[in-house]
Amino acid sequence: MALVFQSLVLGVLLGGLYALLAAGLTLYFGVMRVVMIAHSAFLILAAYLAWYFHEVTELDPLLSLPITVPVFFAAGVAMQRLLLARLRPATRTMMSVLLTFSIALIIEGGLGYVFTGTQHRIQLGYSGTSLELFGARVAVVKLIAFALAAAALLALYLVMMKSRFGQALRATIQHPEAARLIGIQTERVAGYGFGLGLATAAIGGTALALDSTIYPSLHWRWIGPLMAIIVVGGLGSVPGTAIAAMVLGMLMSLLQIPLGTTWAQTVFYLALFATLAIRPQGFFGGRLAKRF
Amino acid sequence: MRSDSEPTRWRGRVARGAAIAIGCAVILAFPAVADNPYMLTVGIGILNYAVLATAWNFVGGFTGYISLGHAALSGLGAYGTALLVTCAGLPSFVALFVAAALVTVLAIPIGAAALRVRGASFVIVSIALVLILLLVFQSWASLTGGSRGLVVPRPFPALHRAEHHRVFYFLFAALLAMALVAWWVIDRSRFGLGLKAIREDEDKSAALGIATFAGKLIAFVVSAAFTALGGGLYALWFGDLDPVFQFSVLTGSTVVLMALLGGVRHLFGPLVGAVIVGAGLEYGKLEFGDTPLHLVGTGVLLGGVVMFMPEGVIPALSGVLARWFAPREASIREVTAAVLLDSRREPPPRSASGEGPAEVDR
Repeated sequence: MALVFQSLVLGVLLGGLYALLAAGLTLYFGVMRVVMIAHSAFLILAAYLAWYFHEVTELDPLLSLPITVPVFFAAGVAMQRLLLARLRPATRTMMSVLLTFSIALIIEGGLGYVFTGTQHRIQLGYSGTSLELFGARVAVVKLIAFALAAAALLALYLVMMKSRFGQALRATIQHPEAARLIGIQTERVAGYGFGLGLATAAIGGTALALDSTIYPSLHWRWIGPLMAIIVVGGLGSVPGTAIAAMVLGMLMSLLQIPLGTTWAQTVFYLALFATLAIRPQGFFGGRLAKRF
Repeated sequence: MRSDSEPTRWRGRVARGAAIAIGCAVILAFPAVADNPYMLTVGIGILNYAVLATAWNFVGGFTGYISLGHAALSGLGAYGTALLVTCAGLPSFVALFVAAALVTVLAIPIGAAALRVRGASFVIVSIALVLILLLVFQSWASLTGGSRGLVVPRPFPALHRAEHHRVFYFLFAALLAMALVAWWVIDRSRFGLGLKAIREDEDKSAALGIATFAGKLIAFVVSAAFTALGGGLYALWFGDLDPVFQFSVLTGSTVVLMALLGGVRHLFGPLVGAVIVGAGLEYGKLEFGDTPLHLVGTGVLLGGVVMFMPEGVIPALSGVLARWFAPREASIREVTAAVLLDSRREPPPRSASGEGPAEVDR
C-alpha cells in the first residue's frame, strides 16, 4: 500500500512536468496548427544550458531561468516569424512537422558535438535529501521541479485568462479571421504565442535537469509520451492535455510496480492507439481537433 | 487539356527514354566499375535507401500522408525474416517472402488505425509506432537478442565476401525495379488518380464518390509490402540486426528526406533523392568520421528542402531545362489546386494561423 501511494505521488510529480510541456505543445497547435516535434529537443537544450550554467558558475541551476526563459521566448518568436509562417498554408501542417523535426535533429547533433554524447548530471547540496510525505519518501529535487512546473502553468493560465494579450491570444486561437477584423494583429500575437510555448520548454528543461541524467538523444524518450498526451487530451485543449498528462503520468508510475520501467512506458502508446480507435479527436478534445 | 504540341511531346518522350536507359546502364554497370568492396557496399546502401524511399512514396507521394514511421515496417520485415531463419529454420528467401507477407497482413489493422486521423495526428501515430516497437524489441531480449543484436545466417555460405555483395547488389536492384514498376502502374491507373485526388482534397474526393479510406489503406499496405521486403533483404545482406538501428525515427525521416528532395510526384524522385542523400551521408562519414554532425547535416538539408524546395529537385531542374531549351514551350506543370490558389491570392500578408475561413470554429 505504501508502495502504491509512493508511486502515486511520484506519478503526480511527473505528471506536472508533462502537463507543462504539453501545454506548450497545445499553444503551438492553437496559434499555428502545427505540431512541434522539436519541443522535447528544446527541453533537453534547456536542461543542458542549466547544467552548463551550474558547471561554469557553480550557482544553483534555477538561477539560469532568468537567462534561458527570455532567450527561448525570443527563439520561439523568431522561429514562428522566420520559418513556420513562411510555409505554404495549404501544406503547413505536414511540412511543419518535418521542419520542426529537422530542428530537433540539428539541436541533438549540435549538443552531441559540443558537449559529447556522455551523460551529465547536476550534483547539488540537496540532491540526496528527501522528505517524508504521509509515508511516502519524495526527493526534494522532484518537489522543486513540480513546484516550478505548477507555478509556470499557473502563470501561463493567468496570462491567458487575465491579461489583454491573453485575450488577444485566445481570440487568435478561436477565430483568426474575426480576431483580425476587430483589430488584433494576429501574426504578431501568433509569434508571441509560439514564444510562450518555447518558454515552457525552458522552464521544463531546468526542472528536468535538477533530478535526471541528461544526454543528447534523451529527447526521443520525451517526444513519444508528449505526443501521446496531446492526442489523448485532444489537440488544442489545454485543460484536456493537463488532465491527460496527470492521468497517464500516474498510470505509468503505478504500472512500474508490476511491470518495470521499460514496459510501463508502453502505457502512453496503448493510450494513444486506444484513443484513435475509440475517439480520434481525443477525449477532452475541442472542436479544433476534429479537422486533424 | 494539354497544350503540348506533337513534336514537343515526342522530344520529351525520347529524352525520358534516354534518361531511363542511361540510368539503368549506370546502375547495372556499377558493380563492374566499383572495384573495391567498400564502393559496392555504398552502392548497396544507396539501393536499399532507394527501395525504402520508393516504397514510402506509395503513401507519401500518392495520398500526401507523410509517415515518419516506415522504419517500423522495414524493421518488422528485417526481424521477421531473421527470426524465421533462426527460429523456424526456413530457407532464407522463403523466410523473406513469408515475413513480408506477414508484415503486409499486419499492415492492414495498423493502417486502418493510423489512417483514421489526418495530418499532424497521422505523423504522430507513425512516430509512436516506431518508438513502441523499439521499446518492445529492446526489452524482449530473449527472442530478439535485445541490444546485443541478432545474427542472421548468410544465405549463400559458399560465396566469399565480394561475391556476396555483388549478388545482393543485383537483388536490391531487382527489388527497386519491381517497386518502380508497381508505382508506375498505379500512377497511370484510375486507382492512382483517385489517390492523387485524396492528396489534393480528401473531403472533395470523398464527396465525388472515391472510396478514400479503402484507397489510402491499399496504398499503405502496398507500401508496407515493399518496405518489408527491403528490410528483410537488408537483414539477409547485413546479417546483424540491432533494434536501435532498425526501429529508428531517424532512418524513417532520412527516407522521407530522400523522397522529398527528389520529388514525391515523380517516379524516379525517391531514387534521385536516395542517390544524392545516400552519397552525401557516406561522404560525410568519410570526411568527418562518426560525429553527431551527420545529424546536423541531415537536419539542415531536411529543413532547407521543406523551406525552399518542397516540390523536389526534379521539378526544379526540369523547370530550368525547359527554360533553357524550349523557351516558348507551354507546358502544364502539375500543381495542387491549393498552391494555384495561393499563387493567385494577393501577395502577403499571409494568414498567420491556418487556412482561413474553412477553419472557423463553430
